[in-house]
Amino acid sequence: MAQKRIAIYGKGGIGKSSTASNVAAACADEGYKVMIIGCDPKSDSSITLLGGKRIQTILDLLRQKIDVKEEDIVHEGYKGVQCVEVGGPEPGIGCAGRGIIVAIQKLRKVCKSIDDMDLIIYDVPGDIVCGGFVAPIRKGLVNEAYILTSGEYMPLYAANNICKGLSKINTPLSGIICNSRSVTREEDIVKKFSEEIGSKLMAFIPKEQIVQDCERDGFSVLEKAPDSSVASVYRELAHTIMSNGSSVMPSSLEDERLRELTR
Amino acid sequence: MAENDISIIHPRPSSIVAALYTLRDLNVDVAILHGPPGCSFKHARLLEEDGIHVVTTALDENGFVFGGRDELSSLLCKVNEMFDPKLIGVVGTCASMIIGEELREPVQDANLEVPVIEVEVHAGYPNNTKGVLIALESAFEAGVIDEEELGRQKVLLTEATNVEKRHGAASKEYLVPSRGDLKYKVAGKLIDCLKEGKKCLTIMNAKKETGYMFADITVAINEVAKELGVDENIINMANVDENLGLPRVRNHATNIMNDFKEKGVPIHEIIGGMDEYPITGEKVSKLIADKYSDFELVVITGVPHAIPMDNLKEMEVISVTNGPRQVFPLKDMGHDHVVVEIDLHPKTLGVSHIVESEFGATMRELAKDRLNDSQEES
Ligand SMILES: Nc1ncnc2c1ncn2[C@@H]1O[C@H](COP(=O)(O)OP(=O)(O)O)[C@@H](O)[C@H]1O
Ligand code: SF4
Ligand SMILES: [Mg+2]
Repeated sequence: MAQKRIAIYGKGGIGKSSTASNVAAACADEGYKVMIIGCDPKSDSSITLLGGKRIQTILDLLRQKIDVKEEDIVHEGYKGVQCVEVGGPEPGIGCAGRGIIVAIQKLRKVCKSIDDMDLIIYDVPGDIVCGGFVAPIRKGLVNEAYILTSGEYMPLYAANNICKGLSKINTPLSGIICNSRSVTREEDIVKKFSEEIGSKLMAFIPKEQIVQDCERDGFSVLEKAPDSSVASVYRELAHTIMSNGSSVMPSSLEDERLRELTR
Repeated sequence: MAENDISIIHPRPSSIVAALYTLRDLNVDVAILHGPPGCSFKHARLLEEDGIHVVTTALDENGFVFGGRDELSSLLCKVNEMFDPKLIGVVGTCASMIIGEELREPVQDANLEVPVIEVEVHAGYPNNTKGVLIALESAFEAGVIDEEELGRQKVLLTEATNVEKRHGAASKEYLVPSRGDLKYKVAGKLIDCLKEGKKCLTIMNAKKETGYMFADITVAINEVAKELGVDENIINMANVDENLGLPRVRNHATNIMNDFKEKGVPIHEIIGGMDEYPITGEKVSKLIADKYSDFELVVITGVPHAIPMDNLKEMEVISVTNGPRQVFPLKDMGHDHVVVEIDLHPKTLGVSHIVESEFGATMRELAKDRLNDSQEES
């Protein structure tokens, strides 16, 4: 099976990290070898796969000028999921984008096991704000991009902008995932949006308190509440992603059309 | 951490510039700096004297914020029309690398028939040899050099870095620049020794094109010795192997060898190629131990600090460098006299023959004066 290397984009706070870690857990349940690479300076992509523990980030180590080895930065989490956090500077200092570039280069250099993975998820921060944030894509590391959005105007606006960004850097889009915020006609709205930009809606994740409860305790839904209904939604999404073969160069919508969609 | 990882506070050679010179050695016709207009200005200018076109995308504040993909691809098209190049190099700078600029994409956008070597480099590496390495690796990827040459160059680069760390400009946290000993005095000393019939070794261990000037010192010593009738006492070593290194570098060796021949200067020992200055030390040491241990005087030019002192201890050592920061490290090594050829490098760009050195000129003049004086006396 060809290695899948995906990145999930979307507005900050929309649920990228929780979706990424739950999908990672679901794929690990299926027996896939999974790696999750957190590219957010907040370093919160892998916590729920590590029982609430934080790991040393690549940039933490680079800052101390330590000769970084694979075992220092790759940590085993739930069912063998390999967890990596890029880390970054303090908010408001230095250049987080450059940090991602440097950390990814280091990771590529020292991490041999990356080649053995079935699925690698790059959990990227917020919108595509600068060159560094698309470094994983630009450096040819990511071969599938997904966008996570709700049916609200602002997340869709961000999603639309990301589509512009993706076509600018020549990266096809493999699908839209709806993470619900319980808006009226939400699934319809996101489905329409997906179709109009030339893509498709991959999954509809309901808004459930249990997602946040598990997160607070330091676990994925798959680990802490495997029998919940949202767990099976993540399972299904994982399956869809692993069997998805199609992607398109997305177009984007006029702002007026976006407002109309969400009215 | 690597051994002797000290934090050096004097200004150092830049990796970007090192990459530019490497592209020059690879015979690119045009090098594009992707970055701010003033980046590496002085060397860009010098390289033009050496026959390559250097241009810049001139990124400004807007470029830093919004990127310069279009600027780079349109500049590629422009230079292609202006200069009709056979090979182009694109060099990153701190500014473009920090904002995550890709060199590959604009090169693809421009879609030229001409091969392009992309060098993603910035000036933040502690050893400027990193710039050479990245340039060579890209050249290998672009099919400009083969794997064997790449491997050979890597060994040389590691050694070059070590040489600088041991006794060179990277050996101390801060090195004071110095103009060295007075050329007039050292030349006088040298002539006296020759006159006294002392046996003299000349060792030219020069870095690439700088050899065009360092070779002049070898020539001057031989000329003066001939006038004094003691040319039998001179043994010349030089790193002028014509079969080693990148084509341009071999060409320098051929040019210099031709001039040596024409001027009647025999090179008794060829100690390596013109890019092998970091690794000639052992060989020279062994030659001296085997054949020349009874010599009383040695003149080392180029990269004198790459030659170990082990077998030179009994000799009077004169060294000639072009690095003002090299003076004190050389004295520390035990060299008796250190001469600096100030601003040597610019004078060796764009030439194909040996050029006159100040030290060589001083020696010639002084020898002439002394010969005249002694003729008047008799
Ligand atoms: N389907 C969901 N139901 C309930 N809460 C969710 C859901 N998805 C995400 N969340 C919560 O939303 C918050 C932000 O999610 P996070 O994954 O950190 O966003 P991002 O990575 O996009 O910035 C988290 O507290 C998370 O638990
Ligand atoms: S800081 Fe870097 S990019 Fe800027 S001028 Fe100096 S070498 Fe060039
Ligand atoms: Mg996140």
